[in-house]
Amino acid sequence: MRKRRGRVRRGGHGVPDPVFAQASRRAGRNSIKGDDMMIEIWTKEKYAGSEEAGFIGRMAHAGLKVKAARLSRLYRVDGDLSRAEFDRLGRELLADPVSERYSLKPGANGFKGAWRVEVWLKDSVTDVVGDSVREAVADVLGRRPERVRFGRAYYALGPSAAAMEAAVRGTLVNQTVNRFGMEKI
Amino acid sequence: MNPMENFNSLSAAELAELDRACGWSLNADELAEVQRQFRTMGRQPRRGELETIAQTWSEHCKHKTFSGPVAYRAGGKVKRYKNLFKETIVKATRTLNKKWCLSVFTDNAGIVEFGEGGRWGLAFKAETHNHPCAVEPYGGAETGVGGVIRDILGVGLGAKPVLNTDTFCFGRLDGKKKLPRNALGPERIMRGVVEGVRDYGNRIGIPTAAGGIYFDDGYLLNPLVYVGCAGLIPADKIEKKVRPGDLIVCIGGRTGRDGIHGATFSSANIDEETGSSAVQIGHAVNEKKALDVLMRARDLGLYNAVTDCGAGGFSSAIGELGSETGARVRLERALLKDTRIEPWEIWVSESQERMILSVPKGKLKRLAAILDAEDCEYCVLGEFPGDGRLLVTFGGEPVADLPMEFLHGGVPNFEKPASRRRVKVSSKKPAAPAYWAGALKALLAHPNVCSRRSVITQYDHEVQGGTVGKPLQGRYGDGPGDAAVIWPQAATLDPADMHGFAVGHGFCPAVGRIDPYQMALHSADEAVRNLLCAGADVRRTALLDNFCAASPRDPEVMGDLVQAAEGCLAAALAYGAPFISGKDSFYNQSRDAAGREYPIPLSLLISATAPVKDVRRSLTINFKAAGGALFLAGRSLKGMGGSVYNELKDSGNNAVAGLDLKAAAALYEAVRRAMEAGCVRAAHDVSQGGLAVTLSEMAFSGGLGAEVDLSAVAREKGLSAVELLFGESPARLVVEVEPGREDEFRRFLKGLPAAFIGRVAGNTGLAVSDGGERLFFEDIDVLKACWQKELI
Repeated sequence: MRKRRGRVRRGGHGVPDPVFAQASRRAGRNSIKGDDMMIEIWTKEKYAGSEEAGFIGRMAHAGLKVKAARLSRLYRVDGDLSRAEFDRLGRELLADPVSERYSLKPGANGFKGAWRVEVWLKDSVTDVVGDSVREAVADVLGRRPERVRFGRAYYALGPSAAAMEAAVRGTLVNQTVNRFGMEKI
Repeated sequence: MNPMENFNSLSAAELAELDRACGWSLNADELAEVQRQFRTMGRQPRRGELETIAQTWSEHCKHKTFSGPVAYRAGGKVKRYKNLFKETIVKATRTLNKKWCLSVFTDNAGIVEFGEGGRWGLAFKAETHNHPCAVEPYGGAETGVGGVIRDILGVGLGAKPVLNTDTFCFGRLDGKKKLPRNALGPERIMRGVVEGVRDYGNRIGIPTAAGGIYFDDGYLLNPLVYVGCAGLIPADKIEKKVRPGDLIVCIGGRTGRDGIHGATFSSANIDEETGSSAVQIGHAVNEKKALDVLMRARDLGLYNAVTDCGAGGFSSAIGELGSETGARVRLERALLKDTRIEPWEIWVSESQERMILSVPKGKLKRLAAILDAEDCEYCVLGEFPGDGRLLVTFGGEPVADLPMEFLHGGVPNFEKPASRRRVKVSSKKPAAPAYWAGALKALLAHPNVCSRRSVITQYDHEVQGGTVGKPLQGRYGDGPGDAAVIWPQAATLDPADMHGFAVGHGFCPAVGRIDPYQMALHSADEAVRNLLCAGADVRRTALLDNFCAASPRDPEVMGDLVQAAEGCLAAALAYGAPFISGKDSFYNQSRDAAGREYPIPLSLLISATAPVKDVRRSLTINFKAAGGALFLAGRSLKGMGGSVYNELKDSGNNAVAGLDLKAAAALYEAVRRAMEAGCVRAAHDVSQGGLAVTLSEMAFSGGLGAEVDLSAVAREKGLSAVELLFGESPARLVVEVEPGREDEFRRFLKGLPAAFIGRVAGNTGLAVSDGGERLFFEDIDVLKACWQKELI
């Protein structure tokens, strides 16, 4: 189970984000049928230098000094699938076995003390990537999940909560279409 | 009482209040006309009817400003136009009457002949999606691209898209101006827009290979996002006609509450309360499914007409297709994303990726088989009855019941006042920089000149395997291309057919601030010159006009528009280049909480296309080999107005160099013939940054320097060195001629202003002098490093 060490913020209102809460509650369980599950995809550290440098540079441009960063892709799969099937999706469909690794435990990248920011499209907003992955899941498993949503997670070490939130709002999120959650891990 | 139920007796003030509350953007005259019509009918309007009228009469759909009457006042004289668009843009096309124009101003895009044998047509269209991009840049740009692709899919019986174009205007990324609350910063907007264009184009499999980016704080709150698309259509598939009895079939995406009031939104000021309902996110995969269905069904003749669901949704698309036959629509048959939607919302929703087909009943089964095979959703919404009446119902309850004649012909139009803007022009001798090479380096690093590599490389410009003239060119594939050259073999499916086409652009809003008429000339000239530099046959140039302006309620904005439209007419006639399509976008201005207005400068994008007979002989900009003879074609004129140099450092001179259209046309024809004869190895236009920038770009793109002496250059008397090096007078290009063929080239340009200025060097030094005076010497690697500043 992922430990929650820090304050959780949602959209700056200080309210726990349901995505964080659900993911924490379910991570590590063997049976997750009928629930939704998050698969997180990382670029292996030895290949991640350029995307991390790009993110740090972008944050610097927004006035935020970030000492170190990690980035990942998130797939929230809503459907009646077993843990083994989720593993299979991570292994065979979503992660490139050469350059990436996957995890069913959100935030399990050993990046202690960092801010973790999840950015999602609002549920009412069209999610092309999520829709495409939903079709791909059907091709792999022979069953179509109810819904797949695609998001991104950003990990940043260094900044204060207020500065991090301001930078997130200013660069990563448009609250017209996005929602976000932020917590310290 | 609900004001909707009492519409016919509302006062003008109450009508205006209702209009605001419903987001219709109808003016007082239009509201009064609607009221009058329903009083005549003897009943109150339904919500669906008022929504239909608001969509159909919107600026976005009817182009009331450009196609309306105007009274233009300048210097005590008044010139009246009954229809500004018809008396300028359309007049040029009608006057030229080119046989190779197959469809102009009547369909979703213009179509010109392509290749030989009359087998193919090339459809070309450019759109804007400005307001949505200000609110949600990623989604706005995505749906802009999706929309213009659907214009190509919906022209004639459907063209296959082979090229996407993109031209953006943003506020300066390094600007210091404080933004109003809720406004997105320019970098944020730029990133979102670029990512939106990238994702949509890359996912649907169409190369994004031509365009530009322009920075000016006039666009700080109102970015401009021009998106274009070109496609190939069999010449025998251009005609379409809805036949009475045909079924109305909607294919592609589902209908939701997204995008309600997008069309009327384009007629509104953006303010701090602007909401998200007018913004959508595109779904390129769904559009690709619709594309694949259309191409198969078109070739099998399974439908009689097609159009896209754009602004106004079903209301506009079905209304347009059924403008002669009428339409019976049963909205309960629509496939919905969300069942919590009102019937009138289904009718006007602008959900993306939907196309409307007019299908003979006997062919529905075969069409359905293709739709199923491509996993493309569809529904049969009703039929085109042939009685000229629009009847829309939901579960038997009427939503709209209107005569098409009133809907499409009833919009009142009134004369708009226009006046000439007063601009103080100084023609004094421009101040020279202390250090010529320093000024050049600063110009190369200027955001309106520097490399766009960080944007261009995000786009897949190679998909379909036909991008011959690439956006990044030269020995190392990193120099700036003038125009895209496309070999559309993915559409013709004939690898032996080497015909292609070039697409270039012209855009000069800085000139427009001083002289809108000259802006139009310069823009058309730049677009034609870009095509010429790519080796295209500019005798067959076709143009698109895309005007963006602030509120036309301002007479000076209208005055700018009138002058620019007159400029378009003059340029088109001189170059023999008809306009085949276009679009206009008004109300590009924002208001902050304090009520301050932020209007954009008048912005005219001219997109141009011309055939390339053999794509293997197209040209690029880079120097090719040491010893190449360099010529400057064109006469250099006085005036620093609108130049990038003046943005960097005010020279004290803001006069705009006037374009001699007749001389330019003669020059281009001579250069074209020299290119056709094979004398020319490289060509590059002189535009932003001036001649010094042009020479630098040709040099570092080729990895070769040059020894240049400008003393023989044809020039206006009294031209200063600043104007010669950094001025942006139009109708000039630098060409590299094959050694030993200089005399042949001179013969082609006999009697025209074309001067030998030096040779490509075997080293990496670029040396430029004028007579006995050395102006600068710089290593091209240093110049390239300045130019390769990353934008994002």
